[in-house]
Amino acid sequence: MSDLERDLFELFCFMISSARGLMDEPKAYGPFRIIDAMSRLISILEKHNLADEFLVKEREKIEEGKYSVMDSEEIFKEFLDSLVVDFAKELKGR
Amino acid sequence: MSSILEIIKGRRSIRRFQKREIEDEKVRQILEAAIWAPSAGNLQPWVFVAVKDPKTIEKIKAVSPGMFDMPSAIVAVCRDMKIAEKTGNPLLSIFDVAMATQNILLMAYDLGIGSCPVRSFNQKAIQVLLDLPDHVLPELLVTLGYPAEKPSPRERRAGTVFFERYGGYGGELHE
Repeated sequence: MSDLERDLFELFCFMISSARGLMDEPKAYGPFRIIDAMSRLISILEKHNLADEFLVKEREKIEEGKYSVMDSEEIFKEFLDSLVVDFAKELKGR
Repeated sequence: MSSILEIIKGRRSIRRFQKREIEDEKVRQILEAAIWAPSAGNLQPWVFVAVKDPKTIEKIKAVSPGMFDMPSAIVAVCRDMKIAEKTGNPLLSIFDVAMATQNILLMAYDLGIGSCPVRSFNQKAIQVLLDLPDHVLPELLVTLGYPAEKPSPRERRAGTVFFERYGGYGGELHE
């Protein structure tokens, strides 16, 4: 198994464990796990030199803001909104 | 040596760790603290599996969505259901492993090691990865590592402590 295959396989394990776990976890953990999976995927892309500058910056932003889910639903929502805006602007320009 | 209250109030959940191995002696001390927790009927219905192999830690992380960064060690805090059932109320053993876990967290902090108890993991997958028999249930995974962050203390929720009766005074504890 190559490094990339192993990294992706571990990500799949994370996603399937999240899917099961979310059946019993707070609602806000759903978006949190999705955003965390995204950060993990970008990390894998980075490790294999497949991530561009935009994605690297967004991953750093996710890591900075993701734990707000534990403090305030409002702050976490604002954080997610700002990510959506970042991606929409990027999408528009691509 | 710190006072017990300083240790209790100083401990934080640490989710960012240094890339630095934890000495075996310290892991042993942490586990020693765990087994000295109280338990219902002194049944000690727990099992602790300490993991330091980075490859195993990576695999545990893969099935533990609530685990972040790369800890230097993990302690799987488990209930041995064959022992837990001897009380006639196996639910009581949850309290036992919770008290043992608090000992782990406090001992780790006193040794300068950061920790975080994690419940968001797949129990069945952890049983497979750690060769746990069916009657040994992992209830919490405690991540351990030298801290790479220093979180601020969280506010304590007011209105949780009263003297003599519910609604009596006690609020000054939160100040």
